[in-house]
Amino acid sequence: MEYTLKAHMPGLVARVVVEIGEKVEEGQELAVINCMKTEMSCKTDKAGVVKEILVAEWDEMDVGTPMIVLETA
Amino acid sequence: MIKVLNGGIEVLVEDWPGRLGYMGLGMAAAGAMDNLALQLGNLIVGNGAGEAGLEIAGGYCDFEITEDGVIAVTGSDMSPTLGGEGLPLWQAVSVKTGDTLHFSHFGDAGFRSYLCIAGGIDVPEYLGSKSTCLFGSYGGFEGRKLAKDDVVKTVRKNLAGIAGRKLNPKYLPEYGNEWELRAIPGPNSVPDYVTEEGMDYLFGTPMKISHNANRAAYRLQEVPASFWAREDGGKGGSHPSNIVDHGYNMRGAVNVTGNTPSLLIADGPTLGGFVCVANVINADLWKIGQGIPARDKVKLKLVTVEDAIQARKERAEMLKAEDLILC
Repeated sequence: MEYTLKAHMPGLVARVVVEIGEKVEEGQELAVINCMKTEMSCKTDKAGVVKEILVAEWDEMDVGTPMIVLETA
Repeated sequence: MIKVLNGGIEVLVEDWPGRLGYMGLGMAAAGAMDNLALQLGNLIVGNGAGEAGLEIAGGYCDFEITEDGVIAVTGSDMSPTLGGEGLPLWQAVSVKTGDTLHFSHFGDAGFRSYLCIAGGIDVPEYLGSKSTCLFGSYGGFEGRKLAKDDVVKTVRKNLAGIAGRKLNPKYLPEYGNEWELRAIPGPNSVPDYVTEEGMDYLFGTPMKISHNANRAAYRLQEVPASFWAREDGGKGGSHPSNIVDHGYNMRGAVNVTGNTPSLLIADGPTLGGFVCVANVINADLWKIGQGIPARDKVKLKLVTVEDAIQARKERAEMLKAEDLILC
């Protein structure tokens, strides 16, 4: 099963705080969006292992832009 | 009373016209980013038009009603639900103790919703206003945005006959993704500071709103180098956007820093050393608050001061129209 973390706000990718292969828990911060001159945390709804990182720092995103793919149980 | 279960992106107590009279001391007026939606929401629930409501930017928030009352949600459609059922916008709806109110997120058009409560929000007035100045950390609810477990008091009011009132559809504000903002030339424009070509660009080019857009300023896409009439800023600095510091024309100034224009709005700076090339008219300020950062565009339309005064009069008349609210 896969889970894709999507951007909940338009803005820039401030940073991705996980690496491919990293095990993450439900509710853990995976990335940070910069919008409205504020940093907004992007947390995962599911636990899993980071399979793919689809964005890089300073990428511009809209709401719903896929950011990180997890392999879930 | 209303309890915050989830504060989402940014929920603030804001009224209208905000905290006027202190710009000379460096205090921005704050106030609702979309004053039209707030005023209409207040009128729907029988409040004075400028009463404080909750300004919800972006969405992703939840509330619990802790006292029976009547509410109206206006502005951007964030698919609000009351007890899991869809909640109509621009309409007064009864709420009961224990009801939960959920806002999803902004949709295709508009960025801010307003939650107006019959009776109004009971926070202390600070220097004549209940508005939160986010960047000054004063006013509103403890000078900050609302967070989980905050309980916001509301003013008790006779609720008879309020539920069911709604905005006459002919007065519904028009939302889109390209916002036409009527504007007058600012104090630093053609010919001394900006070229004719630059003014044509300013008033003829849709400009995308940056992700750097908040209650202080909405940054826009850059203007071309041909915008400038001067080689440098003289005594003000090395760039032609520099001037010797002066007071800014607020709210609605089109302020240019380097080649980047910004719309200075609710919590914006009251003075500085950059040119103000135009000013959005009062009647159109509300549109800025509904512009979606990193997505929408604004387009300035040149008007005269007389046009601006007339538009302001028409807005005031509209808010007093006998057929504004359908009972």
